[in-house]
Amino acid sequence: MSSWLDYTINGLIIGNIYALVAVGLALIFGVSHLINFAHGSVYAVGAYIGWACFTYLHAPLAVTAPTVMIACAGLGVLIERVGLRPLAGSARIAPLLATIGISLVLDQLLQIIFTPDPRALTSPLPNWRIQIGGGTIGALDLLIAATGIVSAGVLYFFLRFTKLGWAVRATAQDRDAARQMGVDTDRVNMAVFAIASALGGLSGLLVGMYFNHIDPAMSFAATLKGVVAQVVGGMGNVPGAIFGSLLLGLTESYGVAIFGSSYRNLFSFALLLLILVLRPNGLFASARSTPPEPLTGSFVMPSRPVRVPRIAVIAAIAVAAIVPLAGAAPYVLQVLTNAWLFAMLAISLTLVAGTLGQISLGHASLLLIGAYASALLALDLHWPVWASVPAAGLVTALLGTALIAPAFRLRSHYLSIATLGIGEMVGLVILNWESLTRGPMGVTNIPPLQVGGVELDNPRAAYWVTLGVLVLLALLQTRLLRSHLGRTFRAIRDDDVAARAHGISLGRYKAIAFAVGGFSAGISGGIAAHLYSYINNETFTSTVSISALTMVILGGLGNVAGAVFGAVALTALPEMFRGTAEYRMLIYGLALLLLVRFRPQGVFGTT
Amino acid sequence: MTLLTLRKIDTFYGPVQVHFGLDIEVRQGQIVCLLGGNASGKSTTMKIILGLLRPRAGTVRFDGHDLTAMTTPKIIRAGIGSVPEARRLFGAMTVRENLLMGAFARSDRVEIAHDLDRMLELFPRVRQRLASRAGTLSGGEQQMVAMARALMGRPKLICMDEPTMGLSPLFVDRVLELIQTVNRDGVTIFMVEQNASLALAIAHYAYVLQTGRIILHGEAASLAHDPRIRDAYLGGKT
Repeated sequence: MSSWLDYTINGLIIGNIYALVAVGLALIFGVSHLINFAHGSVYAVGAYIGWACFTYLHAPLAVTAPTVMIACAGLGVLIERVGLRPLAGSARIAPLLATIGISLVLDQLLQIIFTPDPRALTSPLPNWRIQIGGGTIGALDLLIAATGIVSAGVLYFFLRFTKLGWAVRATAQDRDAARQMGVDTDRVNMAVFAIASALGGLSGLLVGMYFNHIDPAMSFAATLKGVVAQVVGGMGNVPGAIFGSLLLGLTESYGVAIFGSSYRNLFSFALLLLILVLRPNGLFASARSTPPEPLTGSFVMPSRPVRVPRIAVIAAIAVAAIVPLAGAAPYVLQVLTNAWLFAMLAISLTLVAGTLGQISLGHASLLLIGAYASALLALDLHWPVWASVPAAGLVTALLGTALIAPAFRLRSHYLSIATLGIGEMVGLVILNWESLTRGPMGVTNIPPLQVGGVELDNPRAAYWVTLGVLVLLALLQTRLLRSHLGRTFRAIRDDDVAARAHGISLGRYKAIAFAVGGFSAGISGGIAAHLYSYINNETFTSTVSISALTMVILGGLGNVAGAVFGAVALTALPEMFRGTAEYRMLIYGLALLLLVRFRPQGVFGTT
Repeated sequence: MTLLTLRKIDTFYGPVQVHFGLDIEVRQGQIVCLLGGNASGKSTTMKIILGLLRPRAGTVRFDGHDLTAMTTPKIIRAGIGSVPEARRLFGAMTVRENLLMGAFARSDRVEIAHDLDRMLELFPRVRQRLASRAGTLSGGEQQMVAMARALMGRPKLICMDEPTMGLSPLFVDRVLELIQTVNRDGVTIFMVEQNASLALAIAHYAYVLQTGRIILHGEAASLAHDPRIRDAYLGGKT
C-alpha cells in the first residue's frame, strides 16, 4: 500500500516535469501550428547550463534557475528566427523538418562540448524527506510540484489578463484576424518561443537534479514525452497539455510498478497510439476526425525532376560494379556497402514520404524488423540465408503495414507523430520480448551471407550482393512508379479528398505503398544483420530514421535516383573526412535545415 | 479630401494576374463601395489595402502614409479598422475580450473603457452577450461584434469585406443602418459588396470591378440605375 502512494507521488512529480515541456510545446503549436522538435534540445541545453553553473560557478539554485531560463529563452528566440520565420510561406511540415534539423545540431553540439557520457547533476537542496502516510516527499519533490503549480498559475494569469497574453490567444485562434487588430504576430511568436523555451530549460534542470543524471540523449526523449502529453490533451491545448502530462506521468509510474522499468516508455507510446487512433484531437475534444486544416499539404514541392538518361544509369551501375576490381581498399568497400544498404532504406522512404506524401519519422524500425526477422529465421529455424533475407522483406512488408494501418486515417503532422511512436515501440517491444528476441542481450553469431552453400563473408562479395539487390529493388520501384499505382499514389499525395472522390480507396493504396516500402527496408535490415553478425534493439534508432529522411530530401522526395544519390552522398562523404566522424549528425542536421530552407525539391527534384 | 488612394495596382497570385492597373480613391467622410461578381478581385483589393498581400506594382496611400511597404499591424496602427470577410471573430474568446482586442493598438485605458461603453450603447444586443464566447453568437450578432471591434481601434477608415454576407434579411437592414450611423459619426467606410442594390442604397460613391479592372465608377445615386452594373455581374461585354 505504502509503495502505491510512493508511485503516485512519483508519477505526479514526473508528470509535473513533463508538463513544463508539454505546455511550451502546446503554446508554440497554438500560435504557429508547429510541433517544435527542437524543444527537447532546449531542455537538454537547460540541464547542461545548470550543470555548468553548479560545477564551475558554484552558483546557488536561486541564481542558476533564472540563468537557465534566460539563456533558454534566448535559444528559443533563435530557433524561431532560424526554423520558423523564414519558412512562413512553405508547407506546414517544413518548419517541423527544420526544427528536427536544429535539434540534431544542438544535440550534437552538446555531445561535442560535453561528450556523450552522462554526468551527475547533484541537487543543491537539503536532503530531508517528510513521511506522508507510507510514502516520503523530499525538498526537490516539493520544489518541482511548486514550480509546476506556480508556472501554471502565472501562465493562466498571463494568457487571461495581459495584453500580450490576449495577443497570444488571438493569434492562436486566427492569425490573420489578429494581424488585422494590430497584433504583430512575429513578435507574438518570438515571445511564445521565449516563454516555452524558458520553461523547457527549467524542466531540464529539474529533471537532471531529480535523477542526478544528465546526458545528451535526454533531449529526444523529452520531445517525445512532451508530444505524447500534448496529443493526449489535444494539440495546442495548454490545460490539456498539463492534464496529459500528469496522466502520462501516472501511467508510466504505475506501469513501471507493475511491469518493471524497461516498460516505462512502452506505456507512453501505447498511450500515444491509443489516443491518436481513438481521439486524434485529444481527450477533451469530441470530434473523432482531425481538423482538415491547417495541417494538410505535403512537403513535396512541385518541381521538374532531373531525368537521368538510361545510359547514365547503366554507366553508374557499371562503375559501381567494377569498384572492387579497381583495387579499392576493404574499408572503402565496407563504407559503400553501407551506403547501398542505406539506399535501400532511402528508396523505401522516398516512396512513402515522397510519392505517397506521408512523412514517416520511424522508418528505421522497418530495418529492425527486417534484421530480427532474418537473423531469427536463420538462427532459430535454421533457414538458409538466401531464403531468410527475402522472407525478412515479406515479414517487414506485412508487419510494418499492419502496424501503421490503424494510423492511415491520420494526416500530415498526426501521421508523422504516429510513425515516430510506432517506430519507438518496435524497439521497445524487441527489448522486452525476451523469449523471442533475446531482449537487451541482442542477437549474436548471426551467420554471414551465403548463396547455395557458398559463404560470402569477404567485403567484395558482400559489396556485390548488396549492390545487386539495390539495383533490382530500385528498378522495380521505378517500374512501379510508371504504372497506374504510381499515378494513384501521387494523386493521393496531391489531394486525398479529390482522390477519394474518384473512387480511390485511400487505405488500400497506402497499404500497398507501405508494403512495397517495407519490403525494401526489410531486405536492407536483413542483409545488414548478416553483415554485422550482431544486432540489438538499438542497432537502428530514430537517428537512422532522421538520417534517411535527410537523404531522401537531399535527393528529391519521390525520386528513386535521388534517394540513391542522397544515401551515397550522406553515408560516404562524411566517411571521407574521417576526422569529422563525430560531426556526422551535425552535418545531417545542417543539411536538413539548409535543404528545407533553400532547396526543398532536393538535388534531383521531386517527382 | 482623399483619405485612401490606390494607384495603378497590379496583383498576381503566382502566374495569375488578379488586378490590372487598379485605381481607387476614397474620400474622407464617405461610404465608398467596391462592387463586383465572383472572382472579380474584390476581396484581393481588401487584402492589398490591409497589407495581407503585396501588389507587384502600384502604390497604396492612406492619410499621408505609404501603405505599400508597411506590415498589417502597422497599417492598422496608422488608423484603419478591419471587418474581415465572414467576421473572423476570436471564437474561443469572450465578446468583451474580442472588443478589447479591437483596441489592441491603443494604450489609453480610460478612453478604451469609455469606448467600450459607447459600443454597448450603439450595439445594445452585444451588451447581453458580453461574457459569452464569440463563437456561440448568431451570424448577425457576430457582425455587430465585428463592427464594434473595428470601431474600438478608433479608426479613420473602416474596411468591410461583404458585411451583409450570410445574414438574415432583418439583420441586413440593421447592419446597413449601423454602417450609416457609424459613418455619420465621422468614420469613412470602404466596403466590398456583392449585393449591388443594397450597397448603392447607402453608399456615396461606388466602383465596379470586373475581372481585375475598374469598368465603372461614379456617384452611387447615378449608378443605381445603370444597366452596365448588371452586365458587369453577368460577365457581359462593356
